[in-house]
Amino acid sequence: MTATPAAAVGARQPTKQLVVDISEIKVCADPDTTIVTYALGSCIAVMVYDPVRQAAGMIHYLLPLSKASPAKAAQTPAMFADTGVPLLFESMYKLSCQKKDLIVKVAGGGALYDDKGTFNIGKRNYTVLRKLLWKNNVIIKREDVGGTKSRTVRMHVGSGRVTVHSHGEEMEL
Amino acid sequence: MIPTDAVVAKVDALPTLPAAVSRLAALHGSETTSASDFEDAIKPDPALTANLLKMANSAYFGLRREVDSVGQAVTVLGTKRVWEAAVTAGFSKTIPDRIPGYEVDSAVFWKHCIAVAILSERLSSQMELRTPKLTFTAGLLHDIGKLAIGSFLTVEATLVLSRMRTDEMDFVAAEREVLGTDHAEVGATVADKWGLPEAIGVGARWHHCPDEVPNEEDQVLVDLVHVADALAHTLGYGADVGELARTLDQRAADRLELTVDCLELVACNTLEEIQQVSEVFAPSGGAGK
Repeated sequence: MTATPAAAVGARQPTKQLVVDISEIKVCADPDTTIVTYALGSCIAVMVYDPVRQAAGMIHYLLPLSKASPAKAAQTPAMFADTGVPLLFESMYKLSCQKKDLIVKVAGGGALYDDKGTFNIGKRNYTVLRKLLWKNNVIIKREDVGGTKSRTVRMHVGSGRVTVHSHGEEMEL
Repeated sequence: MIPTDAVVAKVDALPTLPAAVSRLAALHGSETTSASDFEDAIKPDPALTANLLKMANSAYFGLRREVDSVGQAVTVLGTKRVWEAAVTAGFSKTIPDRIPGYEVDSAVFWKHCIAVAILSERLSSQMELRTPKLTFTAGLLHDIGKLAIGSFLTVEATLVLSRMRTDEMDFVAAEREVLGTDHAEVGATVADKWGLPEAIGVGARWHHCPDEVPNEEDQVLVDLVHVADALAHTLGYGADVGELARTLDQRAADRLELTVDCLELVACNTLEEIQQVSEVFAPSGGAGK
């Protein structure tokens, strides 16, 4: 799962940008749009791309499990992995996408230097996601998770190309 | 290494908080303060009055009826909240579009300050602690040192980054090694220069090394700001050049008896509030999370 420098791939600059805020899901079938989310710390972005339908979607979730606050989960399901990620897939299906065509990439889940792991929300976010996807027979094609990185992620709807910006560099995922 | 007099010169050159905020600091600390004392202190500053009312009428406070005078705001919200609104309003105007060296835009820096203010208070309530009086304000102003030493960091940025990324050094330790000081130490100097209550300077000074707080009575306040800062960075509020290369002092988390459940509950319950307050005075620069 190694990333390659973005410059080597020859980026095309699309004109439209769709921003995914924390605890949001956005899906899009406009090939000229780039979906972006900023400053993923412990949060995780799951990117889904359908090359057949030329559609893409992204969630930026905050916490692993909705049991932390069922009330918040009812109001903002994309805040949690267990309520948000299924919703991301459902949103793609509404764009006529099929599960077998979807390519899944994951970024985020960072952490501070924290010996005991109390603040390691990133690791818990990632663990729950892996279990959730595994149970649903979904494979993660590429991922850039963990470490002390803060990541900004961009996904081009037309090509499905995903770039991760952190530590002053942009890499293709 | 930055010579001490160069730091002092930078601190002197910073835009200061409005004088009315310092007057309110004194009034807020007094038991005999009335609504009209507060009104008299703020009235000479129309910009601050307008901004304070903007904050008081924001979704964060959720007032049923709009307040249109400082006196009304004090009656409805109390002196503590009005003082916090005044500091927030005053502080938002001192932040430049971009803080050099830390590679952070004003909107991102601002949201980090607001996040730490709100998280400090909410963590305290969630842990059922007796919240120290200036918790919100100490959280809000914990990083004021960055405003003063950002320009020094520009020159030395490569060294700091290399210590962090190659040697996996904590950001503050790298800052200290390269500059001979750090934003926490400089923050205490700024707080003093701005005439802020002592606890604000103490919060700024020790927020990265809470175990070294000299006076025991400041311990809870500093521990709260430390863990709120760690949580804010963890959640991605205020990503600067240091990214997540910060160290959580476990002793502070242990003293507060913080649990995973508490952190997660506070994280999901404050998301909206942080968004609302930071939008009231959103500075112009950059895309903020």
